[in-house]
Amino acid sequence: MTGVVARSAESITGALRAVFTAEQVAAGDGFLQQRDPRVTLLSVSGFAIAVMLTRSLSVTVMFGLITAVLAWLSAVPLRRLATRCAVAPFVSALIVFPQVVLLPGDPLVQVFGLAVTDAGVAYVVLFTMRVGVGVALLSLIVMTTKFSSIIAAMRELRIPVTLVWVIAVTYRYLFLFFDELWRLILARNSRTTGRLGSRGGWYDAKQLAGIFLLRTLDCGERVGQGMRARGGDRPPSPYRRSRTIDMYDYTLAALAVIVMVGTVVIRWGL
Amino acid sequence: MGPVIEAQGLSYEYPDGTTAIRNVDTTVERGERVAVVGANGSGKSTLQLALGGLIDPSTGSVRYFGETTDAEAVRERLGVLLQDPDDYLFNATVREDIEYGPAQLGVPRDVAERRVDRLADQLGLLDLLDRPPFRLSGGEKQRAAVASVFAFDPNVLLLDEPFGAVDPQYRERILDLVTDHEGTFLLFTPSLDMVPEVAERVILVGQNGSIVADRSVREVLTDSSLLVENGLRPPAPVEMFEGVLDRDELPLTVSEARRYLLKREQ
Ligand SMILES: Nc1ncnc2c1ncn2[C@@H]1O[C@H](COP(=O)(O)OP(=O)(O)OP(=O)(O)O)[C@@H](O)[C@H]1O
Ligand SMILES: [Mg+2]
Repeated sequence: MTGVVARSAESITGALRAVFTAEQVAAGDGFLQQRDPRVTLLSVSGFAIAVMLTRSLSVTVMFGLITAVLAWLSAVPLRRLATRCAVAPFVSALIVFPQVVLLPGDPLVQVFGLAVTDAGVAYVVLFTMRVGVGVALLSLIVMTTKFSSIIAAMRELRIPVTLVWVIAVTYRYLFLFFDELWRLILARNSRTTGRLGSRGGWYDAKQLAGIFLLRTLDCGERVGQGMRARGGDRPPSPYRRSRTIDMYDYTLAALAVIVMVGTVVIRWGL
Repeated sequence: MGPVIEAQGLSYEYPDGTTAIRNVDTTVERGERVAVVGANGSGKSTLQLALGGLIDPSTGSVRYFGETTDAEAVRERLGVLLQDPDDYLFNATVREDIEYGPAQLGVPRDVAERRVDRLADQLGLLDLLDRPPFRLSGGEKQRAAVASVFAFDPNVLLLDEPFGAVDPQYRERILDLVTDHEGTFLLFTPSLDMVPEVAERVILVGQNGSIVADRSVREVLTDSSLLVENGLRPPAPVEMFEGVLDRDELPLTVSEARRYLLKREQ
């Protein structure tokens, strides 16, 4: 496979693979890395829930700031965090985009005879930002806490086994998914020579997509066997990583509670 | 004693209609060391999955420890290592992968941690423990996979080609792990060189997925025509001394051959 399609396929999978495997920061000794996994999980996902509840732009911006400060304290490069979570807000912006003309409000400009309203633009901007900040917060958890510790913390917090199971399996599957795609592309590239032009490239890409689906299904099945061979049929039960909860843990948890209560008050009143 | 694995009338057909194993009857006794050999595509890996209870046979059944036909009930006693380490390693780091089995199968944490350290040391994985498994070299992946199966200390080992991509130094270490293992051991491999080192009994799987021979190591490995008929080849020392020595004197390993030559010099 040559040309633009090949290059973009390779760089996109490379990037996605990096997104789902950006675990290295977890070993660092930043603020979130040193928290008890249960505290990180509860507080940071608390922030994420709060940002999904809010309807106020300034509250959303405040959560954005909290996220940035947490990232900074935890030595997570902001750029890496941003690239890691760029996809989700982008996709959600596309989905809610029609709202710019659908929502009633004062018209800003006319496009193809449709009035773009101020309310519509505000809605799309706010929605995209909320998704972006929410995903950034959840990414922070994954980037600063070992995945097995997150799972162990969920079990300790008595989150229903089924839910933990679904999360664990999804995560592992994503891992494999991008890994398989990466290997497939490498394997094809290693055996294609000469120029195909963009048409040949597209034809090849379609074929590749078909084979990829088959391979991931097959790979999923074989990895399922590999998991089962080591007790994967039983509920996920990694070793606990919790430690004694210290001052900083209490501070983070308290901050999370205050911010969540504040958000609810701002949204619904007392 | 008593049987650890009893397979009866075992067949397996893949969804695309390929029959990979055919009517396999076999019993493995406690403490036995068995090599299951056969050409590529003969059905060794499929047989391993079926014996390990990871696929449901199309016909027949497997009974474990004379107790049950449900492999999940005895999972912590069965150490099934798949052929491709990429299917076996799926956690975020090598350490998590080695810990996965012990954690799932209820090994206490401190015991598991000591085992992880010991195995990582033995298999040269200490510097790789915090790396994602898929970023390792082929042989390193294989070593991580071997560590992951030994980590929960299973009673019965069913290893599919564990020596594959591993260099001689670590091949030796894996060999040590295998010989130190006190339980039952089944090795699935198309290459016969390691077989005399680890097994006493050889099950030869023919090209159509049924068992064509089940005898002692010496009897199978010195039967060149049987091996060649089934797409295999005797170990090099056997080929070298065939026709020179009687069949029951043929050296099976390089060190046996060496010993023979030295004795003759004297
Ligand atoms: N997922 C599958 N779907 C269909 N057929 C398969 C599948 N996996 C293996 N086979 C076929 O089943 C037969 C036995 O395969 P198996 O993997 O058990 O062989 P093997 O003895 O382990 O070979 P090798 O020495 O190459 O590892 C082969 O003919 C193979 O092509
Ligand atoms: Mg095989």
